[in-house]
Amino acid sequence: MMVQPPPLPPTVSAALTTTEVRVTSGFQGARIVLYGAVFDPSHRPSDVVVIVRGPEQPIRIAHKVRVAGLWINSRPVVFRGAPGFYKAASTRPLDQIAGFGVLRRLGAGIDHLAINAPAEQRVETRYGVKDVVVNRLGADYLDWRQAVVRLKAKMGLYEEDDHGVVFVDQNLFKADITLPTDAPIGRYQAQILLFQNGQPVSQRVRELDVKKVGLQRTLYLFAHFHPWTYGLVSVSIALAAGWAASVAFRRS
Amino acid sequence: MALDIYLPIAEVSVNGPLLVALGAGVGFISGLFGIGGGFLMTPILVFLGIPPAVAVASLASHVAASSTSSVISYTRARAVDFRMGGVLASGGVVGSILGVEVFRWIRLIGQADLVVSLSYLIFLGVIGGLMLSESLTTIIRSRRGDAQPQIRDRRPPLLYGLPFKVKFPKSRMYISVIPPIALGVFVGMLSAIMGVGGGFILVPAMIYLLRMPANVVVGTSLFQIIITTTLTSVLQAGRNQTVDIVLATLLLIGGVIGAQLGAKASSRFRAEELRAILALIVLAVGLRMGLGLFLTPTEPFILMTGSGG
Repeated sequence: MMVQPPPLPPTVSAALTTTEVRVTSGFQGARIVLYGAVFDPSHRPSDVVVIVRGPEQPIRIAHKVRVAGLWINSRPVVFRGAPGFYKAASTRPLDQIAGFGVLRRLGAGIDHLAINAPAEQRVETRYGVKDVVVNRLGADYLDWRQAVVRLKAKMGLYEEDDHGVVFVDQNLFKADITLPTDAPIGRYQAQILLFQNGQPVSQRVRELDVKKVGLQRTLYLFAHFHPWTYGLVSVSIALAAGWAASVAFRRS
Repeated sequence: MALDIYLPIAEVSVNGPLLVALGAGVGFISGLFGIGGGFLMTPILVFLGIPPAVAVASLASHVAASSTSSVISYTRARAVDFRMGGVLASGGVVGSILGVEVFRWIRLIGQADLVVSLSYLIFLGVIGGLMLSESLTTIIRSRRGDAQPQIRDRRPPLLYGLPFKVKFPKSRMYISVIPPIALGVFVGMLSAIMGVGGGFILVPAMIYLLRMPANVVVGTSLFQIIITTTLTSVLQAGRNQTVDIVLATLLLIGGVIGAQLGAKASSRFRAEELRAILALIVLAVGLRMGLGLFLTPTEPFILMTGSGG
């Protein structure tokens, strides 16, 4: 009788159709397709979750309040840990795939993003308990956090797609990633997670670079590394153009 | 679409022909009325989704371009008082540096929106209202054939009582330099805060406060605007890296041509009619910008661009 080899652990593998998004003068956003496969000899029911995160950007957000009949901004609150782009795509709604704790730990799903406002938090001792995190925004904290997500979603930068990962063949899956024109420049990470029985059993990380190329890059670097020269050049162009136009019109 | 252009500093995509047309339209108004046109352009650019800091900074070079374009036409017509322009600009330089610092602090405490909206509402509202009533009165009087009343006080003590008097031969005046310098500082500060050249305040102030002859006012105000916007533009690029050269170029292509057409068209109108039209435009922009302060916002939260200021 043959000795049964131990079953191979299930694995997931994936690739992006593009690993570099080139931002040129005609940049109109980009659509990237992620393909992947699940290898599981024992064919247990599997779910796939794809999380794409853009470079982290602090967010300043203010609340409009009415003072003496005028709508003005409250003190701005700075949220840290917010990715500049976030998309969670999955084969089923995330809460059916895994439990709250697992999703929270992985930062899977917009509700589980580790966004917080450190400047608003204090650690203090309350009722004799040490190291209690107190938030100055109090009960409104959730409103603020939801507003961050809502405003980012409106710009097409935060998205959660319950059916964004589709099995196109038995073990082969696909997910579309759409980057809007406003997508921040920088390094993106796509995390591909294979879930079985509510637990992540395998993961892959793929990287994606969104970068300015050509004239865009030249001008950007010029503006940041030689700012004073850049300023003089841009204003000279302006003055020369003004002069040229008046000369041209004088002749006509 | 190929007509959309991605701006390298603003990091947004805009429609190229739309911006050129916008530049031309505002340039025309600039040449016609002898103002920079920033008070119109800044709100429009922000409305188009360009970050306010980039809009204000890039606009400065557009204003410099269209002002250069039209000031040369006015120079040919011998309608620029360079000495007065220089005095105003020396105040303007101090004012814009102060204004940039004040604005940094305002942004830090998150009240930039309020200050900008209020400044637009107050200054554009007051100036537009005053100009409108003054020019309408003049128009009605001349239609009726009444004689225009003489300006009662030909030698206001504010101008003639203060020390440091200087001759301004072009304007045929011999006045203290203190009022023009103070005016320059004030306009410089406002222009840094509101992202404008300041012509809409300078022109009426030169007419009603400094009592300068109307024919040199427009050219002189443009000359002072060129100096302050050139400085602002270089300062913004050097300190904040917020000048978008692509945005500025798109705007000024249309701007310089529009300014030429505007300067030509201005001779076909009577001065008081021009002032009445400008007053209406100024009032409309001021009210539109101020409106946001009174309407209940549909979205109670607002994301602020840039972190820290």
